[in-house]
This record gives sequence, C-alpha cells and structure tokens, in this order.
Amino acid sequence: MLEGKQNGQVFKLPKVILLATNITNVELEKAKAAGFADTVIMKPMRASMAAACLQQVLGIGKKRQAGKNMLNGSMALQGLLCGKKILVVDDNMVHQRVVAGALKKFEVAVECRESGKAALKLLQRPYCFDAYFMDIQMPEMNGFEATHPIRMMESKANKQMNGGMDEDSGRKGEWHVPILAMTADVIHATYDALNAGWMDVSKPFEEAKLYQVVAEFFKSTRSNCFT
Amino acid sequence: MERNPMRRQLASLRKSLFDQGYLDEQFMELEQLQDDANPNFVEEVVTLYYRDSARLILNLDHALERRPLDFSKLDGLMHQFKGSSSSIGAKKVKAESTLFREYCKYGNAEGCMRTFQQLKKEYATLRKKLETYFQLARQIGPMESANRPK
Repeated sequence: MLEGKQNGQVFKLPKVILLATNITNVELEKAKAAGFADTVIMKPMRASMAAACLQQVLGIGKKRQAGKNMLNGSMALQGLLCGKKILVVDDNMVHQRVVAGALKKFEVAVECRESGKAALKLLQRPYCFDAYFMDIQMPEMNGFEATHPIRMMESKANKQMNGGMDEDSGRKGEWHVPILAMTADVIHATYDALNAGWMDVSKPFEEAKLYQVVAEFFKSTRSNCFT
Repeated sequence: MERNPMRRQLASLRKSLFDQGYLDEQFMELEQLQDDANPNFVEEVVTLYYRDSARLILNLDHALERRPLDFSKLDGLMHQFKGSSSSIGAKKVKAESTLFREYCKYGNAEGCMRTFQQLKKEYATLRKKLETYFQLARQIGPMESANRPK
C-alpha cells in the first residue's frame, strides 16, 4: 500500500474531488475546512469538468477560460494526464460509465468500483492512485465513510515520514489525497460533511473559482507514486 | 445509396429530441466522448441505461404494490433511477423522478403512483425515440452519427 518512494522524495496520495448537483455559497464557504474532499463537482459529471478538475487536481496546466470546451483542448493536456491512475467509486453503473468514459478520453487509467468497501479493498494492495472520484451517497458505506480511512492513512504516513511530527501544510511528508466526491444532493451531503469536519468543497459551476480553490490545495508536490 | 437525406433526417431527429425537451446537454457531453477509439460510446451508455432503468422500474413497480408503501425504499430506488437518467441527459424522465421523490418525502402515495405512471410513459417514449435514432445512425455509418459539433 502506498508504495512508490523515490529517493526520499515526498509522494502524494491520491486526491479526492467532490462531485455534487448544487451547493450554496454559504455551504461552500463553511465547508472549506480542510479534510475530506478537496473539491465538489456536480452530478452528472460533465465530461469537460472532469478534465478541468483533473488538470487542476494533479497540479498541471494553466487556468482555462471559462466556458471553453475542455475536450477540444490540447494534446498537451492529454499528454499530462496520460498515464494517471484514477479510482472511480460510484454505485450507479451508468454514471460510473460516463465518468470512466470522460477520464479515458485523456488516456487516464481508470479503475471502477461499485462501493466504498470494494474501493478500500483496493487500497490494501500496492495500488497507487492519483485521484479518486467518489460517490458519497452509496448505500452500504457512503463516501465520507470510505474516505475517512484514506485520511487516516494519510496522517499516519505523514507522521511516519516526519519522524513523528505531523505537519499539516508542510510540503515535506504531506500526503493529501485529492478526493473528488460525487453527489446528487450536495446540500445534505455538505451538512453531513461539515458535521464530520471532513469536507472541503468548492463551487463547481464556476470553473474559474474551481481552479482557484483546487489550485490552492494542489500546488504541492507532483505525484511520484504512479507508473 | 444516397446518404444525405438520411443524414438530414438524423440531424432533424436529434434536434427534435433536444427541442422537445427529451434530452438535455448531458447527452451532448456523451456525444463529445465518442470518437474513433470509442465509436459507439453514446449507444453503449444508453444501452446500459436501458438495462439499469428497466431493472429499477420493475423494482419500483413491485415496491408500489406493497401496502403500506415504504417511502424510504421508493425514494432510494428513485434516487438511483434519477441518477442514471440524468447521466444520459434524459430530461423529462429526470423531472418525473424528482417529482416522485418529492411525493415520497411527504408520504403522498397517490402522488407517487400517479407520477410513476407518467414517468413510465416518458421513459417509454424516450426509449422509442432513442432506439429509432440509433438505428438510423447505424444505417448511416459509424462516424457520422452522434458525433456532432454544437
């Protein structure tokens, strides 16, 4: 699990991006406590948004003009995303297929799982993902419950790497899993997340703002943990 | 065989699906994902949708026969159905799903049942139109069908 050290360099755990249908500004601002999810995106996920989020989440590329069709975008973007490993967790098979389709467009290696449980099983093995797209309203284990262990793993790993010292924002030993959490009901999801102190969201519709928030979190180290 | 009339027909059929509110822009998102590497992406996703939604409709039908109604279960099923429908851009079907869930929220059995009948009608209509659309698209040929610029 979480292998991939390279010459003692910091390596990054996957990121989680929240996907949601609607969210108010109030919720957004309130929910910016760091933790669970790094950004919110509406369901159903727009293919163009997937690319935008991934681009920012993985700390690559520049801000694109709002409204531009991401998919007609450059070979450069494709090249940068190429080879990244993404885990999509969604119990809705149709939506899962759409998300996978959008990501594969950029030659991202996509793994899909239907439940949080199944997803966590994957993490027991030496997989390493660059990002997770996680549905947070699944019946057995919702997205928050699934990502909590990921965050725990992070702190543990951070502590280990820092010899016992836990640095939140320090670059060294900072693992921050980009989690894209998908939900059709963000208002309730947000409240849950706020209560759990896990959520960190951004407004999906405004691409510019999305970049801003996402970039804040992801300007850290590039992932060294992939093939 | 003269393809132009068929192409025009396809374009017109497609346009009417949007104009009449059967599909929304999410469907276009699917079209944009279709390319040489994935020449049948849209139809594949829609076919997946048919399977998924048929199953859910069956489950909903059964659930609606129970007395008393289990609104929580109904809502759960419809949440799934709505999710699938919105993933392919099935606009009218999605709207009925939303309405259904509202009735569930207020425990309105009659509203649920009425809405579900309407939903099934919309679903059947959409499905028929999409089947026609894809059939025509297949006749025309792989590259020219769904991959249309905005």
